[in-house]
Amino acid sequence: MTLFNTILSALGGIAGNRLRATLTTLGIVIGVASVITMLALGNGARSAVEANFRHLGSDSVLVRVKDKIDQGEIVPVGKILSYEEGLQMPKEVALVKWVSMTIGGEGKIRHERNVLDMLVTGTTAEGILNIVSQQQVQPINWPDGIPFSEEVFLDRGRFFTPAEVVSNARVCVLGHKTATDLYEGDDPIEKVVWVNRQRCLVIGVFVELEVTNPALRNQIRPNESFYMPISTAIENLFDDEPSVEITARISDEGQMAQARKDITNYLRERHEIALNEEGDYEDDFDLTTRQEILGAQQAAARTFSFLLAAMAIVSLVVGGIGIMNVMLVSVMERTREIGIRLAVGAGQRDIILQFLFEAVLISAVGGVFGIAVGVLAIPFVANFNEGVALLAPASIPLAFGVALLTGLLFGLYPAARAASLDPIEALRHE
Amino acid sequence: MFMEKPPVIQVEELSREYQMGESIVQALRGVSFQVQKGDFVALMGPSGSGKSTLMHLLGCLDTPSAGTYRLNGQDVSRLSKRQMALVRNQQIGFVFQTFNLLPRLNAMANVKMPLLYRGRNSRVDEQAREALSWVGIANRAQHRPSELSGGQRQRVAIARALVTNPAIILADEPTGNLDSRTGAEIMQLLSQLNQKPIARNGETPQPRTIILVTHDPQVAQYAHRILHMQDGEITND
Repeated sequence: MTLFNTILSALGGIAGNRLRATLTTLGIVIGVASVITMLALGNGARSAVEANFRHLGSDSVLVRVKDKIDQGEIVPVGKILSYEEGLQMPKEVALVKWVSMTIGGEGKIRHERNVLDMLVTGTTAEGILNIVSQQQVQPINWPDGIPFSEEVFLDRGRFFTPAEVVSNARVCVLGHKTATDLYEGDDPIEKVVWVNRQRCLVIGVFVELEVTNPALRNQIRPNESFYMPISTAIENLFDDEPSVEITARISDEGQMAQARKDITNYLRERHEIALNEEGDYEDDFDLTTRQEILGAQQAAARTFSFLLAAMAIVSLVVGGIGIMNVMLVSVMERTREIGIRLAVGAGQRDIILQFLFEAVLISAVGGVFGIAVGVLAIPFVANFNEGVALLAPASIPLAFGVALLTGLLFGLYPAARAASLDPIEALRHE
Repeated sequence: MFMEKPPVIQVEELSREYQMGESIVQALRGVSFQVQKGDFVALMGPSGSGKSTLMHLLGCLDTPSAGTYRLNGQDVSRLSKRQMALVRNQQIGFVFQTFNLLPRLNAMANVKMPLLYRGRNSRVDEQAREALSWVGIANRAQHRPSELSGGQRQRVAIARALVTNPAIILADEPTGNLDSRTGAEIMQLLSQLNQKPIARNGETPQPRTIILVTHDPQVAQYAHRILHMQDGEITND
């Protein structure tokens, strides 16, 4: 029998019981849709991880203090990682070209009657460079493909200079919404703002920014920001000297391992960490490179993806069992038809193909609808995951392929059973 | 005349036994006979006489336990399932008591079905229409079996049996589900099929061999020859 006629008779078989075929298809639709949405969740998580660490260049080492929780508070396990240590690092470690530092703290920001409780970021003068090079945000409606410079990120004024950082200058740069909230449309440049009851001069305002990576859209609010020189922030926001986060740029990318060793030795010396009885160093700081972060976080995201995909596959298998069930009933009901077909000369192969095509058709139709439902459902599942869900393009052929395979595998047994019927018995069947 | 052509059916010492639980049932005990081309043979006998078993063996739906069966000179008693399907498709046409049409398909599609199992053939529609008009219901081609009367259904079934131009037509109680008048019409159609075969593709018309299974002596009268069966043996030729 030709392929075309086999498909025709398979279609006829499905049309013979539309309700049942529809319900069976629904099982596959749900399975395929969950594969698509689950993989989108995994993909979103991975993409968010990547975006979070993009700013850490391949020539950088991130230095952070090790924390522990003590009586409900997060405290360093040993000594803090001080601003001073960061400042000295390029002088003490030959391979470190320069460092940038950041710190974050809660501050009460006031201008006249308007008061905001918000996160204040203290950075070195490279702070704006980091914002630009992270590429997590861009000026709103920025055309694709055109690179942006530091200047286009500033609506008015300027960012603070290295000199202002060293001299604890009382200056600040505001996010677009923060400026509007505080000054209600007035020009804030050269105006005074109070940070925890200390005077501060506004020297710059950012343009309105948007998040470039959809996976991060609900996670960061680029227009609600308040930047100060890190030295000023430490003075204003903290009673005790806090730990800073140091990003050290290495002059030679080929010597990352050596640089890592040198930085470690420098900090061990400063923190007076010696070998303990077991012959180990108990460091109170952590060094991380881009490779390490990406490797570890992506491995976690991948495990997450696999788990989700496994769950989705389980629902597809349930759909497949549905197909098998319906096909077995169908074979039983159509025993006589099979007998007639065998009597007029259908080979076992013809019968197998006819029933297999039926199963595959059901799963293929379920696959197409499932992909549509899955893609449409992504924004809804994103709401349950802080907006982190991104269609994984490969999930469409994957889900469809798995659906077809499900139809094929679960259709095989009923089809083989149909083909192995004895024609005489089948013809007698009522 | 008989010497010129080999017999269409040549059966020698054909037997079939079934395992029924502990015991073995001898449904057919070494039957031998021949049927010449163009013959019209009726198989008669009470139920349990083995006529259905013989019919299944002749129709290549079953394989004998012993003995040989030659169809058109070819030994078909030891074929694989695939080969048997091929023989059924090319050499045998079935007409059943219960018509056995596919309810989802219209008359035309039912008649076409055996041709479709033959593979690629551009003349399928033409041949099916030819067969339908030969049995006299070309105007019902688009009707489904449920929209046809019993007699019309059996005509469709006969069209399906002859559309492949088979060597033999096996009719199993073809009038069993019909009233006597319609039954007579169907029997006339079958004798016509036997006596005045259709010319096709300019070939010489082939006389059609028909084997009829019945327990109705009136129906059997249409045949030229009657084989009586009892207890798995032919008792009277």
